[in-house]
Amino acid sequence: MSASQSAVRSRAEAVAVSRTFDWMILFTLFTVVLGGYHIHYMLTGGDWDFWTDWKDRRLWVTVAPIVSITFPAAVQVMLWYRYRLPIGATLCVVALLLGEWINRYLNFWGWTYFPVNMVFPSNLIPGAIILDVVLLLGGSMTLTAVVGGLAWGLVFYPGNWPIIAPLHVPVEYNGMMFTLADLQGYHYVRTGTPEYIRMVEKGTLRTFGKDVAPVSAFFSGFVSIIIYFLWHFFGKWFNKTDFISGEDV
Amino acid sequence: MKLIKDKVAKLSFVALLVTMTAAMFYTPTASAHGEKSQAAFMRMRTIHWFDLNWSKEEVAVNDTMSISGKFHVFEGWPETVDKPEVSFLNVGIPGPVFIRAGSWIGGQLVPRSVSLELGETYDFKVLLRARRPGEWHVHSMMNVQGGGPIIGPGKWVTITGSMSQFTNPLTTLTGDVIDLENYALDSILFWSGLWYAVGVAWLLYWVRRPLFIPRYLAVTSGKAASLISSGDKKVGLIFVVGTILCLGITMGTTNDKYPVTTPLQAGLMRGIKWIEIPAATVEVKVEDASYRVPGRAMQMSLVVTNNGDSPVRLGEFNTASVRFLDADVLEDESGYPDDLLAEEGLTVSDNSPLAPGETRSIEVTASDAAWEVYRLADLIYDPDSRFAGLLFFFDEDGNRQMVKVDAPLIPVFI
Ligand SMILES: [Cu+2]
Repeated sequence: MSASQSAVRSRAEAVAVSRTFDWMILFTLFTVVLGGYHIHYMLTGGDWDFWTDWKDRRLWVTVAPIVSITFPAAVQVMLWYRYRLPIGATLCVVALLLGEWINRYLNFWGWTYFPVNMVFPSNLIPGAIILDVVLLLGGSMTLTAVVGGLAWGLVFYPGNWPIIAPLHVPVEYNGMMFTLADLQGYHYVRTGTPEYIRMVEKGTLRTFGKDVAPVSAFFSGFVSIIIYFLWHFFGKWFNKTDFISGEDV
Repeated sequence: MKLIKDKVAKLSFVALLVTMTAAMFYTPTASAHGEKSQAAFMRMRTIHWFDLNWSKEEVAVNDTMSISGKFHVFEGWPETVDKPEVSFLNVGIPGPVFIRAGSWIGGQLVPRSVSLELGETYDFKVLLRARRPGEWHVHSMMNVQGGGPIIGPGKWVTITGSMSQFTNPLTTLTGDVIDLENYALDSILFWSGLWYAVGVAWLLYWVRRPLFIPRYLAVTSGKAASLISSGDKKVGLIFVVGTILCLGITMGTTNDKYPVTTPLQAGLMRGIKWIEIPAATVEVKVEDASYRVPGRAMQMSLVVTNNGDSPVRLGEFNTASVRFLDADVLEDESGYPDDLLAEEGLTVSDNSPLAPGETRSIEVTASDAAWEVYRLADLIYDPDSRFAGLLFFFDEDGNRQMVKVDAPLIPVFI
């Protein structure tokens, strides 16, 4: 199809076709991102996101943002540099969360009957909004990586605390203290996830006493900055049009 | 035009498939029935479960039952499996059909991983509360870090009633009475939904306008700046300020609502008490042992010495949860699972009482279909072809002595 031989006959028709394209591309992008991001997040964040008794103030707070800033960074490149759309991060996260909620309801609850209050996904929306708006206002990749990346790590805990806090209320059970989240992990038997593979409250941040969540969040933010840069370049590479032939691309 | 549309449609379909695959990608392990597929030497030479008791065969939703018994941690633990320094007492059930209301080793609650000593015997109990109706195979199970799950015997248990009746009431240390089955679910859904709506609102604000082709053309023709208006930036600012404010406020209100919270509890438990068993007065030496493939029988030549003060007889050979009994000496009254019980599976060449001070050479044959059914016979294909198990001797009064055996095994194919 060359430029001189147009497939549409009028401007109105061109607009309509262009709009149809928008929705089709958007839908495709949404589902592709959902699938890819979801698999990536399950493989890297996995159990930290699946179970409340993994959602601690050290490792969950550190790991979840670091492994989840990946796709948002890559998709932002494409949508911003090609289309000036500051929605890459939010699009990714909204897609991911949709997939996660479907998975938790169908598989964790529907198939194996784990209560949903034990297997709900982490909230990533606040970080995504900040990441997108920093890009919109600053228009700079470096600024987005540094300010947005740091914020991505920092807001993860506050964004999830209202959801998770009720499950951190302590309870005495058979002479030991548990949080309700611990007790969920103990009560609702996971044959394939023995207690010792649970990676919580481990690490070298002991010296910070009980204020470990902010320290973990800062650390996570710094690493998120690096991961943002890395995935920004993945996104850029993935976005190349070299492999499509023709001069009008 | 149509061609491109078709292509995009096709691509969206592929994308949809990818999505579905992703959603199906992970389901937590529902089944625990790896009991037969686990290498025979793992089951024979790691943890020996015995004296098992399932308190009920049928239980109503919300009612409890228990699996209790003993396990012996084998001294001849295989080199290829990590020692049970970090182990977790589990149950093999298909997902949370029961909740684990309690689990104890040596009387100590063990919600966390424990360190076990080789050569020692422990007693254990797992209390289960029925949650989901059905017929379930209930196993005792020990997870060993670096060794995987070591599955004990399984028995079918029926749960009756309806899962909708199940409740999990608890009183927290702050004095609230809750039902853990759906506790805080409303607020989890509310906050997750609220933030999701914020995300969707941000997307909608942008995707309502013409997107890809016109914007792409504008960017490539150097008019990118015109695509973002000052109004857009204001909206962005509102979103970001609103997000940060909302985070700050909800942190505050949450901390007011839940002033007492504690970090997740974790850590290895040491010093678990084992059972003090007096040294056995019966001594057993394995002269040789062979497995006859065609007859599905294991034959051992033993030299048995009784150093005690009362005559004893051999009543049971127990390996990998399969129990071979000499019906003349021992009858099972615990309702042990049929498929793991060979009531007359143990034949002893001379099983008359062995008097104190006497030494006797005997031929012991343990035969049952279980060798094949439970794939214990696969042992002969293991890299280290040894067998191991527990022999139980009984005196007149029914006093029991446990003797471990661990020796090479020669297969006989013809
Ligand atoms: Cu089973």
